[in-house]
Amino acid sequence: MSANFTVPLLLRGQIIDEATVEFGGRRGAVSFRAPDLSRHLNELTLSTPSRMADLYAISLDEIFDFLAALGKRLHPADNPHLQQAFELSRLTSGLSDSILRHHYDAIPSFFERDIVRDLAERLIGIDYLEGWVEQPATLLPETRLSIRAVGARAVHIIAGNVPVVGVTTVIRNAVTRSDAIIKTPSNDPLTTAAVVRTMIDMAPDHPITRHVSVAYWKGGDQQIEAHLYDPGRIEKIIAWGGFAGIKHLTQYLQPGLDLITLDPKHSATIIGLEAFADDATLDSIAKRLALDVGVLNQEGCVNARVVYVQSGTDAAGLERANALGKRLFAALQSLPDHLSTPHKAFDPELKAELDALAFVEDEFRLYGGRTNEGAVIVSQSDSSVDFARMLACRVANIVPIDDIETAVRSVNSYTQTIGIFPESLKLALRDRLAFQGAQRLVSLGGAATLMRTPQPQDGIEPLRRSVKWITDETADGDYLASMAVS
Amino acid sequence: MSDLVENLKRDPVSFVDAHYNEGFALRREERDAIGLAGLQKRFAELRPALPALAKLAADQGIDAIRTIDDAAPLLFPHTAYKSYPLSFLERGQFDKLTRWLGGLTTIDLKGIDTTGIQTIDEWIALLEARTDINLIHTFGTTGKLSFLPRTKTQGWQTTTINAHCIRDFAGYNSGPDVLTHHMPLISPSYRHGASAIIRGMNRMAVDYAGGYENALFLYPDAYFSADVVSLAGRLRAAEARGEAGQLTLPPALLARRDEFAAREQGRAVDMDRFFAAAAERFSGQDVFLFAVWPILFEWAEEGLKRGLKGIFGPNSILTTGGGSKGKVLPPNYKDVIFEFLGFDRHFEFFGMSELMANAPRCAEGHFHFPPVIVPYVLDPATGQPLPRSGSQTGRLALMDLMPATYWGGLVSGDEVTMAGFDEPCACGRTGPYLEADIRRFSEAPGGDDKINCAGAPEAHDRAIDFLVGSTQ
Repeated sequence: MSANFTVPLLLRGQIIDEATVEFGGRRGAVSFRAPDLSRHLNELTLSTPSRMADLYAISLDEIFDFLAALGKRLHPADNPHLQQAFELSRLTSGLSDSILRHHYDAIPSFFERDIVRDLAERLIGIDYLEGWVEQPATLLPETRLSIRAVGARAVHIIAGNVPVVGVTTVIRNAVTRSDAIIKTPSNDPLTTAAVVRTMIDMAPDHPITRHVSVAYWKGGDQQIEAHLYDPGRIEKIIAWGGFAGIKHLTQYLQPGLDLITLDPKHSATIIGLEAFADDATLDSIAKRLALDVGVLNQEGCVNARVVYVQSGTDAAGLERANALGKRLFAALQSLPDHLSTPHKAFDPELKAELDALAFVEDEFRLYGGRTNEGAVIVSQSDSSVDFARMLACRVANIVPIDDIETAVRSVNSYTQTIGIFPESLKLALRDRLAFQGAQRLVSLGGAATLMRTPQPQDGIEPLRRSVKWITDETADGDYLASMAVS
Repeated sequence: MSDLVENLKRDPVSFVDAHYNEGFALRREERDAIGLAGLQKRFAELRPALPALAKLAADQGIDAIRTIDDAAPLLFPHTAYKSYPLSFLERGQFDKLTRWLGGLTTIDLKGIDTTGIQTIDEWIALLEARTDINLIHTFGTTGKLSFLPRTKTQGWQTTTINAHCIRDFAGYNSGPDVLTHHMPLISPSYRHGASAIIRGMNRMAVDYAGGYENALFLYPDAYFSADVVSLAGRLRAAEARGEAGQLTLPPALLARRDEFAAREQGRAVDMDRFFAAAAERFSGQDVFLFAVWPILFEWAEEGLKRGLKGIFGPNSILTTGGGSKGKVLPPNYKDVIFEFLGFDRHFEFFGMSELMANAPRCAEGHFHFPPVIVPYVLDPATGQPLPRSGSQTGRLALMDLMPATYWGGLVSGDEVTMAGFDEPCACGRTGPYLEADIRRFSEAPGGDDKINCAGAPEAHDRAIDFLVGSTQ
């Protein structure tokens, strides 16, 4: 496909769309053009951190107002930038049009004043963002301590599997009064740019606009990255993404540069024997499990892939697991279009693995998987499939187990979300799952549908880490001077 | 010519006795008739014997093959010969593994007692001792090796066809017949093992060189372990995910750590001995050499470093293949290799472990399939066969008509461009051929994280380092 799409460089309120470099997009077919970033490197970084002072001339309330006004301009129906981003995403994203549309339509809601205020309050604390917060009296009555959260200069390497990642990056940067250089991914190079371009249309000289840039470069470009990842120019790198990409970044790390990683993760499910109490319960469990597997077409790290079910592994146990598998497949097929559809680019390597299950029918039972409709593989022993890491495109693996311990042992620091049924099992396991490495526990069905309340992510507090925590200690002068004499 | 057509229609295995070049002079309808007759014959013979094939046919609603395209849905996925669960190996369930393999071959494996078998190497040796199967394993990209139930006879047929290709490629008897005029065999690799290459080299040592005393192996005593290859693949996959620390090693493999460590220490000595023997025993002689380009380059660099060059006779033969995938070779790598070797006569093949007859490369740079291979190009999205005309780009699938004991139909992981259905190649050969640009579908554009047979020995070494260094 020819490069019909231009990905502009948005540079501190300026639009540079003289696109001279062609890049290939993901999934083979799409390519796009972008400006040659190497010619703009000096403008991209902030020459001195004191140039962030303008962000402190405005109040947090003004920032909330600014974002709310921006949100009103981000309805896809009348925003040409988002319309263009949507058209490109249709080609680059793993999400079907109906799901993408749903996510684009939701973009304005992220900017609503109450939503942004709640996020700022929960993820940092508005008083810390707005000023110096005096701490409770210490054990030394002669001293006082105040703390403030101050913005930092950061490069954000964002993921492109869901459009919301770029949207929230823009919002988080604004409320923390930080300076962001956002590197967009090739599987969604335009959505973030569309948001920031709308910001430029609205108020090109506003401090918030002057402190956010959006650029595309090919990850690993030495010339660009060696310039950027320098503690004289930035303080933080916030990186989403694959192991190889993050491993690559580590070569630039040195004192003064803080790397915050949101690593690639996989998520799982643990279902207790109670699921099989009666027909109605099993039906409800299948529907809730279908949400964890199928929402976002399983493109998210939150999605369930391997499902441990305490059905037992004897003949009756396998029958129970198979019954759940059959219902799960049916429930996946019934999910509403704005949440999940047959995958538009079903992974051919995964398809080859599904096809090969016909050669081990004693070991695995397959529901679906004929074309792109998704599939449920029910192991006929307590082992997951060897290609568990490849599970995607609405393909789940139900693994029957006798003892819930088998599921607990499978959890490690690459496990993000675990959907659990029943609640009593969640309560019983949650400490141990946390020790094992799990980072988010949810009621079955909530893996991809909850997360409405701002909260820690991947076991860390990325927003609190993205700012600088500055302390101010005051002490009585006579008290200090007294220490100089014996 | 009509003999060849009738013979191949009756029995594809008769290609072992054919004049190889005649296979590239067939008219379109002759080649298609051979392909269709072979597909029908193999389907009729193997469907009742192989449950997986019967099921695939039933699922696809195929009861008879009337056209070549009819058979496309019956080609196995490339994952078929590695469809066993890894848990069989991890839990030492070699009885289950044997039963699984038994479903893929007409050779009866029911009576095989796997009691006491703990490693893949032992299992392969057991099959070899008790049955007609000389199992071939692949290199595995994720630690899962494909296991191909090739028989001993089929191993011999494979190297015989290869020899006939060398003899007849430029016309009947245009080249040396190594089956009757033996040449010393040089292999810069392992003597023992069950990869397709090592199996082939051992066969060639007997058939081409006239015996092991006329053959030189880089590692004459070492065994290229399937267990280590499997570990190498799993290690590489785990490293790519940052999870190498979590890999658990099978106890049977850990028990062999000392053996591997000793071999590692002997590596440099082996190389010195190999060069010394090559120079002393075969200097100036015409030899037969078989190795992939990256291995040859490494060897040539080592040799040139030792001041050796032009070591073999001018009428030596090199057979090679595997491209330079996975390794970055300098642009003049062939010059370096030929300077060291002292000759430049070479035959290059597109092949895979799963094929008994490979596709030789012509002067135009095209890889030509002999008539016992029925090649397909499939639409990558739908898996449907693309028209057998003009030039087609898509997923390569192949039906190897040679094996009568297992199903030779396989969908590959390669993206290729194929032509030659209706127009001969500029080299004059008829029949479908591949253009030079072949890449793996699973290769990320711009990235290369695959093990193929060119990269495998390196991975093998790294796995041994891991194993030896492991303190578990």
